[in-house]
Amino acid sequence: MALEGKVVGRNVRKVDGLALACGRPKFTLDLDLPGALVGKILRSPYAHARILRIDTSRAEAVPGVACILHHGNVDRVPYTTAGQGWPEPSPYDNFLFDRKVRFVGDRVAAVAAETEEAAREALRLIEVDYEVLPAVLSPEEALAAGAPAIHDEDDAEGIYDAQHNIAAAVDIPVGDIERGFAESDVIVEASCEIPYSQHVALEPHCVIAYFDEDGRLVLRTSTQVPFHVRRIVARVVGLPMEKIRVVKPRIGGGFGSKQEVILEPVAAALALRAGRPVVMALDRAEVFTATRTRHPMRVRVKLGAKKDGTLHAIEMEALSNTGAYGAHSLTVLSNTGSKTLPLYNKAPHLWFHGKAVYTNLPVAGAYRGYGATQGYFALEVAMDMLAERLGMDPIELRLVNHIRAGETSPIFEKIGEGREGKPQTVKSCALEECLRVGAEKIGWREKRARRRREGSWAYGVGMSVSMQGSGITGIDMAAATIMMNENGSFRLLVGATDIGTGSDTVLAQIAAEVLGVPVERISVYSSDTDFTPFDTGAYASSTTYVSGMAVLRAARKVREAILEVAAGMLAEPPEDLELAEERVTSKKTGKSVTLSEVGHRATYVVDQRHIIASASFVPEESPPPFAAFFCEVAVDTETGVVRVERFVAAADCGVAIHPKLAAGQLEGAIVQGIGHALSEELLFSEKGRCTNANLFDYRIPSALDVPALEVVLVDSEEPSGPLGAKSIAEVGINGPLPAISNAIYHAVGVRLTRAPFTPARVLAALRG
Amino acid sequence: MRLKIKRFHYARDVEEALSLLSAYRGRGAILAGGLDLARSFNPKLEGLIDISGLGLSYVHEQDGGLRIGATTTLTEVLESRAAREYLGGFLAEVVGQVANPPLRNQATFGGAVASAHPWADLPTALVAVGAEVRWVDQEGEHRARVEELWQGEFRRLLSSAVITEIFLPPWEGAFAFGKLSRNVGDIALLNCACGLGIEDGKVAWARVALGATPRRGRRLLWLEDLLTGEAPGEELWQVVREQVEANVEVGADRRASAAWRRAAAGPLLARTLARAAEKATARQR
Repeated sequence: MALEGKVVGRNVRKVDGLALACGRPKFTLDLDLPGALVGKILRSPYAHARILRIDTSRAEAVPGVACILHHGNVDRVPYTTAGQGWPEPSPYDNFLFDRKVRFVGDRVAAVAAETEEAAREALRLIEVDYEVLPAVLSPEEALAAGAPAIHDEDDAEGIYDAQHNIAAAVDIPVGDIERGFAESDVIVEASCEIPYSQHVALEPHCVIAYFDEDGRLVLRTSTQVPFHVRRIVARVVGLPMEKIRVVKPRIGGGFGSKQEVILEPVAAALALRAGRPVVMALDRAEVFTATRTRHPMRVRVKLGAKKDGTLHAIEMEALSNTGAYGAHSLTVLSNTGSKTLPLYNKAPHLWFHGKAVYTNLPVAGAYRGYGATQGYFALEVAMDMLAERLGMDPIELRLVNHIRAGETSPIFEKIGEGREGKPQTVKSCALEECLRVGAEKIGWREKRARRRREGSWAYGVGMSVSMQGSGITGIDMAAATIMMNENGSFRLLVGATDIGTGSDTVLAQIAAEVLGVPVERISVYSSDTDFTPFDTGAYASSTTYVSGMAVLRAARKVREAILEVAAGMLAEPPEDLELAEERVTSKKTGKSVTLSEVGHRATYVVDQRHIIASASFVPEESPPPFAAFFCEVAVDTETGVVRVERFVAAADCGVAIHPKLAAGQLEGAIVQGIGHALSEELLFSEKGRCTNANLFDYRIPSALDVPALEVVLVDSEEPSGPLGAKSIAEVGINGPLPAISNAIYHAVGVRLTRAPFTPARVLAALRG
Repeated sequence: MRLKIKRFHYARDVEEALSLLSAYRGRGAILAGGLDLARSFNPKLEGLIDISGLGLSYVHEQDGGLRIGATTTLTEVLESRAAREYLGGFLAEVVGQVANPPLRNQATFGGAVASAHPWADLPTALVAVGAEVRWVDQEGEHRARVEELWQGEFRRLLSSAVITEIFLPPWEGAFAFGKLSRNVGDIALLNCACGLGIEDGKVAWARVALGATPRRGRRLLWLEDLLTGEAPGEELWQVVREQVEANVEVGADRRASAAWRRAAAGPLLARTLARAAEKATARQR
């Protein structure tokens, strides 16, 4: 049931908006800790090498150096940096420091010193002898016979086939794919490739490690996953979990890159060794090369369809480059199929298979879209090819094939989070309406029928569709605690992680709606492993849906407790009372008490108790949001320059709790997707060194690059979600790559299948 | 990069700036907008000499030409009426495509001449219009055409000097600027500035500079010769496309291949020339 929301569905003021606008010190490094040491990391200059000798004696002699850590003086504990739920699906192929380095930028040693100058000087004076090994710089080289094994250590765990550099592999057959293609009237095939790209969150990875008055380790860190940080750091540094507290202040963007536990174990180890607080912050070059990137991937999609356009067989093959370590290697690969194939559930014959392979390049990890972005590029280009072969309108082809409410796909059950999934029936889907609205707004019919040409500029329109999920079925868990203050206001404590998405506001709205108060009466605190209840974190499009359900449940419990107290005050049974506008009112007599009076009575007067409740939520399903994307591009046929002139997206995220924030998520994802399509790519030298690890050379779109962009939230209602909501965070990034590629094809008749579509690539394609 | 700056000076006049610069013996630097100092900081620097108080922020029209003070920011240039009117808006067209507003608020015109990055837009434009740089060092005042200055060891020369002014001469014809880049605010993958004088329906003179090739903007004298005396029009622009693709000297860097630059230079020049010709013809009327 959708609420006639007093709070929900409205663009209330963000709970942290004023503080952010005023520049208040909310971020990780805004805490000034007197006496803190500065931590710095020595990084490998080689893509693949064995450390033969490491001598820190000269570095230790630098005045102000407190300690230096390297493989020779720390415990060797295999772990994964991927901050995921337990059991962790990524291989344990990381060590705090290893005897081997596997990419340019890999950790060799870390220094803590009184000043940054002393730390840098110490880094300079650490002597390391390397035995340089042959480097593997592409997935093809990694799989070639006789390729050097990147993970030849014998104590890594969970690698699919270390000897052949395969971190993870999937092979999911449904039906009989060969028969499926044999029975198809039309077959098309597309192979699309996405290169290395980086999230470029405004705030770099940073952490402050210090000790509280009882000597417990506190990590104040820029993370999406505070509770996973606590678990992983405990494992790596050998502390009991209760001796660690992780504080997540306000985060300056993550997009998946901070679902990784990269700096925290190093800062923790340095602080423990030195017995002093340690501050660490990466510079932009380190963020580019030594945090995480999107998994570069080549995805081949083969579609078989009947003459009427009904898909009959889909094969998807993915070759994913996980870089030097296998963070998210299996789950990103799995998502490439699991978040794409259910969209076209009419095909009875499916085969999804692929490998994630190690290379001596930067480490890939979670990045908004999480494999689906890679999968949709190929799938939606292939759908465009199929529509052309069938002589069908691309929208019509989607309408024939896309999943509807009440339908299912075998893929839901076949592919889960690194293991089998769960069966699921889609309960809400407004994609048909999204397609209609989007097509109308872009002027699809007219523009599609008549191509425009002005001099050397050719214009075209293209489209794509996508879905994602809302949290991870059976694994994600969120909890929330709500307490009433004696004046009738509330505190909402959540482990959920607002990383800039506005989830603190969204969760406050859900609580406020149920508790009959304006958002201003709710103070939100997120998140602190000591003081807020557990939450797996901000990833997999989970916060509104999963954490929102926990808040909804907790709010309902608190509401019940309030009604119980008020029942005593009004001498009526709770079922005859209603809670709205900060009052409990008798439906019969119209008499009322204020929430302030209820709070005061419960706290001080009669039968005193704290009105407080906690609740947890584990999703039994992951309802997909849907979106349709339309764009108009201009292609300069003489130079290959592509301009996105207009972009329209219509999305179904269920009930939008805060429409402006939801639209903002969609807009941001689309602009990021345009960056993928037109300019973003990390480049590497022949020796595996990144040559454009800065914002001058690596081009992300700025506000000035945003085309005429229109996003529409199409109404639907997700019965399993909080007040009808499902997710919106990721679905938007899947659309731009294929929509822009398809629009270029419409404009000039060439298929761009390797991102980004730079002037050189487009011109080369045009010149054949 | 960590700053090791020990002293920061606000110079009161050019002489003071020069004597401070000299006293630092290579460990001091002139600070105007500071963008290049921040971008590639010299760790040896101990002193910075701020020249923002020298009264060098101005844009003056002079006999149809333009005198721009060295510390004038690009935003100030864009906002100046004289600059907007110079060559029918040519300078504003160029400056409006440099980087983005926050950087233009900071970057100075003199700084652009001193750094003269090969990928930058202003050098290409300044070469095309034959701009003159005026500077002062211990030996006195100097002036030189940017083309000549940049051909020599200008960085060494300017490291002990203060640029005071850039003069952009008047022209009877019209100029246009063309740029290809990956997105707004990006540096050029290729840029060009083209000036044409049209008399009796023919090209009376041509000034054509191509930059970010990836080398710094320089004139294509052979193309200027080819254009002179010809009638502007699609036929001529087609010749430009073909001749440029056949003869242009371009190279590769990590931003673009030589093959793409070769293919794109002709269309870029042809279009920019066409716009210049259109403006020149309109001006003549």
